[in-house]
Amino acid sequence: MNAFSTQRALGQGTRQNPARLRRLRHGRCILLPVALPSTQRAIWLAQSVLPHEPELRAWLSRRDMPGLDVDDIVQESYAILVRLESVEHIRDPRTYLFEVAKSVALQGLRRRRVVSFETLAEADGLQIPSDDPDPETIVAGRQELGRLARMISELPPKCAQAFVLRKIRGLSQREVAAAMGVSENTVEKHIGKALAFLTERIGRGGNNRSASSSRRDSTEGTRSGPASRKRRGD
Amino acid sequence: MDLPVESAAAIDAAAAAWAAKADRGGMTVEETARLEAWAAADPRRAGAYARALAANHYLDRAVALGPGFVAQPLAVSNGMGRRRFLTGFGLVGAAAGLAGLGFWLRWSQQLIVTGKGDMRRVALPEGSSITLNTDTRVLPQLDENLRHVALLDGEALFEVARDKGRSFVVEAGGVRIEVVGTSFVVRRHADGVVSVVVREGIVETSWNGEVGHQRLTAGDALRVQPDGSATATPLAADAIERSTAWREGLIDLNGLTLADAAEEFARYSRRRIQIDDAAIGDMKISGIYSTSDPEGFAKAAALSLGLSATVSGNSVRIHRP
Repeated sequence: MNAFSTQRALGQGTRQNPARLRRLRHGRCILLPVALPSTQRAIWLAQSVLPHEPELRAWLSRRDMPGLDVDDIVQESYAILVRLESVEHIRDPRTYLFEVAKSVALQGLRRRRVVSFETLAEADGLQIPSDDPDPETIVAGRQELGRLARMISELPPKCAQAFVLRKIRGLSQREVAAAMGVSENTVEKHIGKALAFLTERIGRGGNNRSASSSRRDSTEGTRSGPASRKRRGD
Repeated sequence: MDLPVESAAAIDAAAAAWAAKADRGGMTVEETARLEAWAAADPRRAGAYARALAANHYLDRAVALGPGFVAQPLAVSNGMGRRRFLTGFGLVGAAAGLAGLGFWLRWSQQLIVTGKGDMRRVALPEGSSITLNTDTRVLPQLDENLRHVALLDGEALFEVARDKGRSFVVEAGGVRIEVVGTSFVVRRHADGVVSVVVREGIVETSWNGEVGHQRLTAGDALRVQPDGSATATPLAADAIERSTAWREGLIDLNGLTLADAAEEFARYSRRRIQIDDAAIGDMKISGIYSTSDPEGFAKAAALSLGLSATVSGNSVRIHRP
């Protein structure tokens, strides 16, 4: 069994018989049938994966992968990292993330009816780039804080207020509601909006959505991709 | 033929909304089940949700921006939801709105806090003042129409400058106190009771989503229970005076039991007064003591009640000799 068959099984999502012992490229990994991450896993993703996402996106979008969408590949890659039973064995999360994304992309290409041999060969032979400018080092310290401050300041005013009270003052959402004189549901909406905006900014390294995945968003309402659950009959 | 599928952007937006709900805390069983079903329907959703949660954890480091951080509204939104920096003309157009907003932001974000045993008086720019008792957090926000203060924890005395055009509202755990100009104390008790004592003037109170409401005049005290039931009673002049004894660093114990007093001291000091015997805890005491001296109080109380007080480590135990 190789990484591709692993991905094929994953690609079929929850309908797949949950025989959970799978092999990813980095040794034996057990994938759990869960969709939601534990707090611990979310923290690991925050520290070890999210900072590499902009680099991953840049790397993926340089490839010629017809019909594949970088956004889909990124989302599916996170889903796999959630389902890993353990991440303790992962010494180099950045390389691991790239490997997972590559296998998701390959699986998507293989699923297509028509794909040139060259494309497939090129994708299969993709070299994970060496870890030159470590994003974690780059964004460390003051520079990163400055970047965060800028991002927060770009939020719509009410959103920014709610976010600052919640994250920097450490109030609960309920307390933020009392402080702003609005309902808790309104605060939840502000926080959701702030999170959507900031997740994008962090994950794309400051580029907005249209810059890194223009292929589909504005032009098509339909597509087929690695993540398309509604597959044509194989 | 390909079937239409949910776009990655739509999934990301839904995932952020779920992450915000998780961030709010206290998701019901039904909500959790809905989230699980939503995420299980497509690995891209599960991945997007994990990514939004990860971003939320990542953003915890924003706390390092410090309490002085003010979000500068540098940009405005256009119809597309994109942002652009304000240019000269835009700035003029938006100036009126932003000026008020800037003021609001500065104050809304100034959480005022006292630690255990601390007391602090802060003046608000419009002339009112708030005196915070021990272990208290208040969050004022002022704009041209309203003066609003959230009492998040603890107890505070509000001395409100008269301003006919702008009422002054204190919000404390679902109890709302609205005044024009007066002086009153609001306390959030550990058991969820909110109490209000009016020293001067008139205040309008409401609670339980305005189901309950009561006008209080000078000398009135109101206690609102967590279930929304409330009692209003007039206080004697000396009791009103004593309601702010804490401003002089004193604690008023008149009419309290020994157990109540131990709890009262616990608000101000880490040194705990321990009472193992319920019969001792029910003994009534009286007097005014320094908030910073639970040990002295315990010894004096023991002496007057024919008991013993033993100090060990960070606690004083009152017990039968």
